[in-house]
Amino acid sequence: MAALATSWLLAGASAARAQVTAEPSAVVFPDPAKFAHGLYTEGEVGAVSFFGKAGDDVSPGFAVGARVGYDLFRWLALQAHFLGSTHQISGDNPLNGQLIQTYQGLVEGKLTYRFGQTSIFGEGGIGVERLSTNALYVLMVEPRYRVGFVAGGGAGFDYHSLSRHFSVGVRAGYFVMAELTGSQELMATTYLRYTF
Amino acid sequence: MKGYRALGQLMTLLAPLALGSEGCQGMNTPIYFASPVMPALAVTGMDDAMGNPPRIENGVTLQFRNPTAAEQKALDAQTAALGFMVPWIQRDHVHIELVYQVTNSDSKDGTFGIDIDGHNEYTEYNEDIVAMTLGEGNDDPPQYIPLIPVTPQLLGAGQTVSGTVREDDFNEAELDLDAIGRWMAPFNAVLINNSQVNPIGLSMVPPNVVIPALIEVDVSFTATAQMTCTYDIRVRDDNDQLLHDAGDTLFSPTPTLFVPPAMMMTTN
Repeated sequence: MAALATSWLLAGASAARAQVTAEPSAVVFPDPAKFAHGLYTEGEVGAVSFFGKAGDDVSPGFAVGARVGYDLFRWLALQAHFLGSTHQISGDNPLNGQLIQTYQGLVEGKLTYRFGQTSIFGEGGIGVERLSTNALYVLMVEPRYRVGFVAGGGAGFDYHSLSRHFSVGVRAGYFVMAELTGSQELMATTYLRYTF
Repeated sequence: MKGYRALGQLMTLLAPLALGSEGCQGMNTPIYFASPVMPALAVTGMDDAMGNPPRIENGVTLQFRNPTAAEQKALDAQTAALGFMVPWIQRDHVHIELVYQVTNSDSKDGTFGIDIDGHNEYTEYNEDIVAMTLGEGNDDPPQYIPLIPVTPQLLGAGQTVSGTVREDDFNEAELDLDAIGRWMAPFNAVLINNSQVNPIGLSMVPPNVVIPALIEVDVSFTATAQMTCTYDIRVRDDNDQLLHDAGDTLFSPTPTLFVPPAMMMTTN
């Protein structure tokens, strides 16, 4: 009886096949190729500080900004950058304590080097800056007009989330203001990026 | 994941709006006018030949443009409707503030005072003229009654102090000047009293009056020690009436200098 049962089981079994027993290759996780790229937008908050002549009369201030850009390649992007910041007039003058705002719009290029979830980037551009008041003219820091060219660049660090759309990062940039004779500004912000 | 996508898209929409709202704030941002460098408001602290504390003054004319044809037509229509002249530069649309800084460069403490006069498009007020009129026939020290007095302050040797003459101070002065110039108000009564506390002398002012703003600000500085005063004038120009376009022409009214009649000298 036992021999009969054994033969029945063996008769029903399928043919044996060879198995792959080698170690699987290492998988990059998350795969950067799966991160979204193309059109993106960023919102940022941080600070802007002036140096040079304007630095003597303008305190560092809070900044808020946004970028809209497009990844031409994984490593190259073009972006439009808008930033507003608010400051107090400082120094030994009657306007001490008065508020002044700056508005900047720039066109920038951005180079990115990615390794896994993180990347570093460098960017630079040129644009226009506008001051909200003529306070710096009254203080003889700037010429009569409140609109001028601004140019410069900076670098940053980006960390991509496990979502294919979101990343966060920090960046800093140094810009020269053409109309503010002998003045520069340093901006440092943290941002949240969404790639469509 | 849909929620994240919606958040990202919302951020895209809100970022330009946030910047846009900040930009709109810029539409009502002030314009500053620096005080003239010459003559600088600097006094030695030495009394003059009459034994009075030294005084020095200068002023800033705020340059406005003339109204356009459409604006002039609207002013004329409003004038006809109200039955009295409606000014081109109005207090409700031109907001003035003055910020100052006084430095005592002497080796002794001293007291300083700042007085503010000026003119609108109808009337000019000069406290020196008023003091001269009040002093006729007597040898008393000059009695200065400015449009806006800044409370005298004691300032230590080598010290610096800053201050602000606020928009509401100018609002009061602009009402007073219009009341004096166009509505026959007793000048010392309206200048000495705050209209919100005691509206004495303002009974002739129509309740629907359109008050002209100052278009020149004159500052007098006096001190009992060697001091300097610098100031800047801050103007918020709601209707973009300040002169800055090349095609605009300068608004140049010819205000009448206020001279107090002796009969108006009343006590309070």
